[in-house]
Amino acid sequence: MTSAPLYVGIDLGTTNSTAAVFDGEKVALVRNAQGSPITPSVVRIDARGNVSVGARARRFLDSDADNTRSEFKRLMGTAQAIRFAAAGVERRPEELAAEVLRSLRADVRDQIGVLPARAVISVPALFELPQTSATSEAARLAGFERVELLQEPIASALAAGWTVEDQGGAWLVYDLGGGTFDVSLLETRDGLLRVVGHDGDNFLGGRDFDWAIVDWAIAQAARDGVVITRADPAHAAAVRKIKLAAEEAKIELSRAESASITAPGLTVGGTDYDLDVTLDRETLERLCAPAIDRSIAVCRRLLQAHGVAEGGLTRVVLVGGPSVMPVVRRLVSEQLSVPPAEGLDPMTLVAQGAAIFAATAGLEARPAAIEPVRGAKVWLQYPAMSSDLTPHVVGRLVERTGPVNSVPTEVQLGRSDGLWDSPWTPLDEEGAFVLPVSLVPRKPNVFRLAGKNIQGNAVALDPPTLTIVQGLTISDPPLSRTIGVALASNDVRVYFERGAPLPARRTFTLHTVDSVARGAEKAVIKIPIVQGEYEQAHLCRLVGALEIGGKELKQTLASGAEVELTIELDRGGRMSARALIPAIGQVFESVAHLLVPEADPEVLESTVTATRGRLGELRTDAFRRQARDSIERLTQVESALDDVGRDIAAARGGDADAAQKARRALIEVDALIEGVELDRRWPELDREAREALIWTTGWVQDYGQPHEQTLYQETAKAVEKARQGRDPLELQRQLRLLRRLGSSAYGRHPEAWKHRFEDAAADVGNATDVARAQALVKEGREALAKGDNEALRRVTQKLWQLLPSAPEDRRKGHESGVR
Amino acid sequence: MSQKSDEFEPLGDNPFHVLGLRPDCTRVDVEREGQKLLGMLGLKLKSAATYMSPLGPRARTEDKVRAAMAALRDHEKRLGHEFWASLPPPATPPKPPPAPETRGPGPAPLAEAFAALGWRRS
Repeated sequence: MTSAPLYVGIDLGTTNSTAAVFDGEKVALVRNAQGSPITPSVVRIDARGNVSVGARARRFLDSDADNTRSEFKRLMGTAQAIRFAAAGVERRPEELAAEVLRSLRADVRDQIGVLPARAVISVPALFELPQTSATSEAARLAGFERVELLQEPIASALAAGWTVEDQGGAWLVYDLGGGTFDVSLLETRDGLLRVVGHDGDNFLGGRDFDWAIVDWAIAQAARDGVVITRADPAHAAAVRKIKLAAEEAKIELSRAESASITAPGLTVGGTDYDLDVTLDRETLERLCAPAIDRSIAVCRRLLQAHGVAEGGLTRVVLVGGPSVMPVVRRLVSEQLSVPPAEGLDPMTLVAQGAAIFAATAGLEARPAAIEPVRGAKVWLQYPAMSSDLTPHVVGRLVERTGPVNSVPTEVQLGRSDGLWDSPWTPLDEEGAFVLPVSLVPRKPNVFRLAGKNIQGNAVALDPPTLTIVQGLTISDPPLSRTIGVALASNDVRVYFERGAPLPARRTFTLHTVDSVARGAEKAVIKIPIVQGEYEQAHLCRLVGALEIGGKELKQTLASGAEVELTIELDRGGRMSARALIPAIGQVFESVAHLLVPEADPEVLESTVTATRGRLGELRTDAFRRQARDSIERLTQVESALDDVGRDIAAARGGDADAAQKARRALIEVDALIEGVELDRRWPELDREAREALIWTTGWVQDYGQPHEQTLYQETAKAVEKARQGRDPLELQRQLRLLRRLGSSAYGRHPEAWKHRFEDAAADVGNATDVARAQALVKEGREALAKGDNEALRRVTQKLWQLLPSAPEDRRKGHESGVR
Repeated sequence: MSQKSDEFEPLGDNPFHVLGLRPDCTRVDVEREGQKLLGMLGLKLKSAATYMSPLGPRARTEDKVRAAMAALRDHEKRLGHEFWASLPPPATPPKPPPAPETRGPGPAPLAEAFAALGWRRS
């Protein structure tokens, strides 16, 4: 048996990747064959099909671009095949990511002597489900037996918290990567790290600095009469060379006052041109300032959302390559009035945190050895890592029968340093024990497990030892985006709110909209799973779908049939879903993990045109209302549309990444516009709130139960607060709760179901199954005549399931087949 | 879809009840007790399978324990739960909804009530 545990963490980055190992006490970086802890996320496949990874591949990025690929992480979860011309092969982004992971895995073996079977891999906090799923697939392809995914800001925070002694208070992790920006607000108390919230911008990163420098260099070239256009495919090679030179100059300017951008031998419009310009630090800072300001605005938004005042932070941890730039550190520190945490390596912090988290998750990297059972087998439950100095170990005998001499009746735990032993503890009637243990701070603590039989003789137990590492731990990671099911009404049935602790599982009963005949090949009930913060499904991203096809059905399914849908998320945010149809006792489990949709430049262009039209109308209205906030947001939309236009042009030049960026930006733009529309709807929403207050007050007062009345008082106050603060999203949320309480009380009115029934019966001609609906109406009338309120309620609820959804709503609701 | 569980949550699924802790417990108590219960539930021990709430005994699950721990780590949320947990338990079990015949029917529900209560047909 090996004494020290081994935990492996990997930062699979857009530009660079890093691996780290943790032994329960210290974190060490894993060096690659070149002796560097940083491996460029670059893969090359030559004409003979030989694969090279990292620095060896990166050398060819400029000279052999058709066979050397980088930044494929940004395409994870898309169907975009990446071609290697010389070998004549295509690879999916996750296959390339697998090459990088395989290389890092081999580095661990070379340095530590163990080929890791399990590891923690970091992913950006705002990764969508198809992207996390592609990352898991990459790990599987790389030969890992099991991996857990961890959000990058949590990894950084864990590493920073482990390193920094003073752990109290609220702090920020500012993570500026190559292409994404994440910021997390954290709080550390009593050795437990908690993510209070996070925010970010999927389209902000060091690349924005690079492109700002490229545009500046192109403008300098124009002074020489050389016109270089980023959107022109003929200029793609020249632009690539300028970008590489720009990146180098940016890095050099972290130390020097000025740097050259040199790109000789550019071919532009059939002539050769040597670019050689000097960029000084002041100009660089001016070029980068807009992007840094955008990141700081995101930080402020996060602090405001969680009520942290200016100066309320104890420190900020800067992570990611671009955050090494002095201007970034200075502006962030000055504008947020918080000192940066010193002595932390922004390039490797994420990998270090992932390794520490592997200990928290009990993910020992060594392959599980099959060992003979060495005594009475015991199932154990304990935290592999604990901030508590006296956590519990829970155990239970697997087998309680056998020769009396071999069955333990008492157990004891003893720390391997001999300084602490638990009392001998009798097993309970289930053969179980619960024992608190005492830990030595900041060390791996090994405990031996001893047993005694009824005669007081020693009995060997298996496992004979267990290890608990004491140190900073993270609470269950929170979900970064709300997950729910799109309904045919275009509403979202929320399963997990943003911030819900992972892992999580929830079941709701939904109802089918249409009937599906058994064996019908083309008939499918689609249950779309969406991610996003909006009430309307079309504003959320479709991330998976569970489909129930007529071909698989054992029996014909009537419209309005119950579907018990369970969605489960693991700690890394990976999703699984299961639909049980009680009426026919059948279970469906295969969730189609959708790919991030293709982004065709023509489609994107037409969406931009349509959005500009909508923008014009809203702007006219906002000016008429003198709605300053809306005008500002619409200006933001216009600026975002300009960026999208530039990305579409780049996409036409063959940049698939730019196309994806444009696609996602358009979804964000849609949501921004929705916010403005909500603002425009404010008077109507406000009126709805006032009316709901009037109606519900009476119902809850007369028919509510005492706890409902107390809750109602609180909700009514929250409604008033949202009205005063003019916060439409919060008002909508509170209004939902208010109406729920009102409805609940209203339902107890003796005539409530009569009126609900009559309302539904009036629409029976439009039912999805008219014959069945008519039969239900007849049944309802009979119940009404008998005064059977309970039967009337059942009939009305069944009738509701047969009433149609508007086709437009259903289309927007991702063609959902449930309500 | 039933909203019943949401309505009763402040009483039945109060995190203090789920974890079997008093409202004045420390944060360390929350972590220690939560971790212990998760371990016991992981081994399917009967002694951890239920907890007492003002609404009577309820099933304790790993999801409920995790959610309770998350709720009590958040200072603002904890305050709300402390309020509910410190209410004296009802002397008798909660009453069923008032039967129609025991009280006057009150004003008849009006058609406008549907809209005001946010009723939608899908």
